[in-house]
Amino acid sequence: MSSFTQAGKGKRPSVSLTSKIELNTKRTSISGTSSQRRMSYVSGVNPNRVGSLSRRSILIASDGKNMDKGSLIGSRHTIQVFDEQGKDVTPRPLYRPEPSASIHRQSKILSTQDFSGATGSDFLSSLSMHQTSGVNASLVGPFSRTYGSSSISKSTTSTTESMADEIIEPGSRRDTAISLSEVQVRRDEIKEQLTKEDIDKRVDIYLTETETIWLLDMPTAMMSVESEDAEKVQERNKDYIELCKNRVGNDRFVERMMQTLNGAPKTKEVQCEKILMEDKGIMATSWDLYDSFNALEPTLTSSVTERSSRPTSVSSSKSNVTKDRERTMSTTSTDRESITSSSIIDLESVILARIHEEEKDHSEAILKSEKFQQDLFFMERVLMENVFQPKLAAYRQLPVLIEPVLTSDAGKEKAETEEAEEEEEGGEEEEEEKEKKETVVSSSLLLDLSEAPEEILPPSLERLWSYTCEWTNGHNVSSMAWNKLNPDLLAVGYGQFGFQEQKKGLACCWSLKNPMWPERIYQCDHGVTALDFSLANPNLLAVGTYSGIVAIYNVQTHNTTALLDSSESFDKHIGPVWQLKWIEQDRGTTGDDKGEILISISADGRITKWLIRKGLGCTDLMKLKRTASERKRLTGEKEKKSEALISRQAPGMCFDFHPKNTNIYLAGTEEGHIHKCSCSYNEQFLETYRAHKGPVYKIAWNPFSADMFLSCSADWSIILWRQDSVRPVLTFSSTTNVVHDIMWSPKSAFVFAAVNEGRVEIWDLSVSTLDPLIVTFANPGVKFTTVLFARNTDCILIGDSNGTVSVYELRNMTASDSNKVDALHDIIGSALAS
Amino acid sequence: MLPNLFVVCFLQAEVEETLKRIQSQKGVQGIIVVNSEGIPIKSTVDNSTTVQYAGLMHSFIMKARSTVRDIDPQNDLTFLRIRSKKNEIMIAPGKSPSASGFQASC
Repeated sequence: MSSFTQAGKGKRPSVSLTSKIELNTKRTSISGTSSQRRMSYVSGVNPNRVGSLSRRSILIASDGKNMDKGSLIGSRHTIQVFDEQGKDVTPRPLYRPEPSASIHRQSKILSTQDFSGATGSDFLSSLSMHQTSGVNASLVGPFSRTYGSSSISKSTTSTTESMADEIIEPGSRRDTAISLSEVQVRRDEIKEQLTKEDIDKRVDIYLTETETIWLLDMPTAMMSVESEDAEKVQERNKDYIELCKNRVGNDRFVERMMQTLNGAPKTKEVQCEKILMEDKGIMATSWDLYDSFNALEPTLTSSVTERSSRPTSVSSSKSNVTKDRERTMSTTSTDRESITSSSIIDLESVILARIHEEEKDHSEAILKSEKFQQDLFFMERVLMENVFQPKLAAYRQLPVLIEPVLTSDAGKEKAETEEAEEEEEGGEEEEEEKEKKETVVSSSLLLDLSEAPEEILPPSLERLWSYTCEWTNGHNVSSMAWNKLNPDLLAVGYGQFGFQEQKKGLACCWSLKNPMWPERIYQCDHGVTALDFSLANPNLLAVGTYSGIVAIYNVQTHNTTALLDSSESFDKHIGPVWQLKWIEQDRGTTGDDKGEILISISADGRITKWLIRKGLGCTDLMKLKRTASERKRLTGEKEKKSEALISRQAPGMCFDFHPKNTNIYLAGTEEGHIHKCSCSYNEQFLETYRAHKGPVYKIAWNPFSADMFLSCSADWSIILWRQDSVRPVLTFSSTTNVVHDIMWSPKSAFVFAAVNEGRVEIWDLSVSTLDPLIVTFANPGVKFTTVLFARNTDCILIGDSNGTVSVYELRNMTASDSNKVDALHDIIGSALAS
Repeated sequence: MLPNLFVVCFLQAEVEETLKRIQSQKGVQGIIVVNSEGIPIKSTVDNSTTVQYAGLMHSFIMKARSTVRDIDPQNDLTFLRIRSKKNEIMIAPGKSPSASGFQASC
């Protein structure tokens, strides 16, 4: 009972009913009738629909008729509704359950629905209070309560409790409630089952309190009265209380109900295409991590500029369109590169699909790329190495690797055994010779092999290879020079000697690593007659031509134009430059002359010193004046008076600086005179050596003995001089050919090489002063023109008139005591004496 | 623009020339140029051989390069040579295209 009143708390007291009886009945048997009502209501309505209950009740309320809602449904017996006219407008129940419906279920439903029934009773009880029409506001209260609104939390809990209590109560009363129509039937049925004993039986009802179910807990926030915000909070509290008070009948508060519409669910099926799955595996290698790490950094700084700079190296001259494409190409290719290099995906299908169209452009770019060129360059060199391997090994005096030939097994075995022996003894040359013999000599000559180290073969020149290419065919090799820094780099100048045969010349730089194609080709308008590499700047190559022009090339770059040219020089040469040399001069007096200078001698009779100063400037070191033979050295003037000479100067052909004292040098002229000059005097000669009858083509100081020098000339002779003697010491004439070139061996004081037209001669003074040691003949039709010793090996280079530079190896030369200069002097002394 | 064009022509000519020279070397059976993905761009031998070589070499180069770089990431592969009984395969791997030539022993 009390629960009801509790439930009824806060309801509007104004109730208008048509029949007091009803009210009374309601009031008195509130539990019973209400329970009845409950029952009826519950039975009358679809079960478990609190909402529908409410709806119904709303509908009922908004009817506008003064009706007792509770009396609307069900119990006709007790409740009757009359309108003002007295008509019986008792509504009939909408729901007529079949009597055949199972009782048990119904009872169960009813029992289960007690809860809802309780709620329903709540409604009803509350509704019974509020009977006014069209006042929806009043309905807010109970509904809000049952819906668990936060505003009245306590009451909800109480109602739940009450509901809990209620359940039991009506349960007990259920049996007693009789006056119902349809349900009553059931009720009666149920009731019939009960016996008197059951009714009278003492039924123990235990009331227990369930656990408190907290639906909402909003603890109050406490604040000290003395705090700063206390006033505000108090104000707010006051406002709130006012609000609550005013809420009841206020227009500002409207009770409203909402029902969400539950849309009917619908299943829908979708079919999609098969999802392709791909497995991707990546192996994180340490270089991959390194690459990714490095790749991040440039992109952070400036990706755009970096990307644009990368393809410029590929080809800077492509048009914009292709450039853009190329850029994307290269970036994509490099990007993909970085991915592909780390992944193991089979890319073929992807690649073919994607890049097929663009491949043509791409391949063009590739073929033009510098990297590709470099790769080709390497490839070529490696190939050359393969091809020339035995020769190069011989050049380097390394044991030659023999390709295992399957036929000569016996020979190979012997080679191995002999090799083993040889290694103990040491001596690379011998071993190499032995090996060579292995291949040459058949296996049956076992005895010979064992004797091989003791056998002395005559010294010979063995041809290794030749530097030649299609460019050089037909040209005459006029000069050769080794690079001072890299002894494998050779510069060869091609130019005709004679006036009639003049044609365009060229200068080539050859590398040991590629004997088939020069590294650099410099084309000149005139025949190249002299060449030299600089010592201070090993990349500078000075080239002198037949027209008197001295040009300096930088061999580091691929640029084929000269770095410096003397064609605009003030004092340039008028005649062919026959020899060029870079000389290290260390004159302390004049600052300019320190370091290296370029000296040239030319057919216009001048020895000039070239300086690289804003172009090529030159000063004359010496003017070679014509001197009449057999006379004291005189200035040209006197000569002129007696002889009408065309020019005052004698064409200079060659010169050589003293190896120790770079102040002194020798110059050979076309007259056949050799003048010893000094850099300090540019007017007079120190000495003149006259013995040659033809132009002196080459002069060479002996690198070991500072006194001796050699000269060769067109008069078929080579003359060995001593510095202090005007008369020659020794004359070597073995042929009737012009001796074009001579050179001392860098390894021995006794050995020198000479080329005359038909053959090359190696002279060894310690062996014989009359005949050359080795003579090798040239191919018919080809003339040997230049000779050059190799510094680091026992090889000799010979240039011929067909543009071929052949490399010969000096074999079996007796290991001479190279620095025994005294022996040389002895020989000379003996020669002089004789 | 003119000098640039010249350079391009020159380079192109040089490339062609170098290729020709290599090809004309004694013992060289063929040259194949592949791009970074292993697709042959240019070849002097027939298609089937090209494809075969390119496919086989690609993985080999990757493996070799991976090996070299694993040991030291700053290092890189410069040249590969495979000598066999009958011939020798030389590979110049670049970042970009790699040229590989194969030479028969004589």
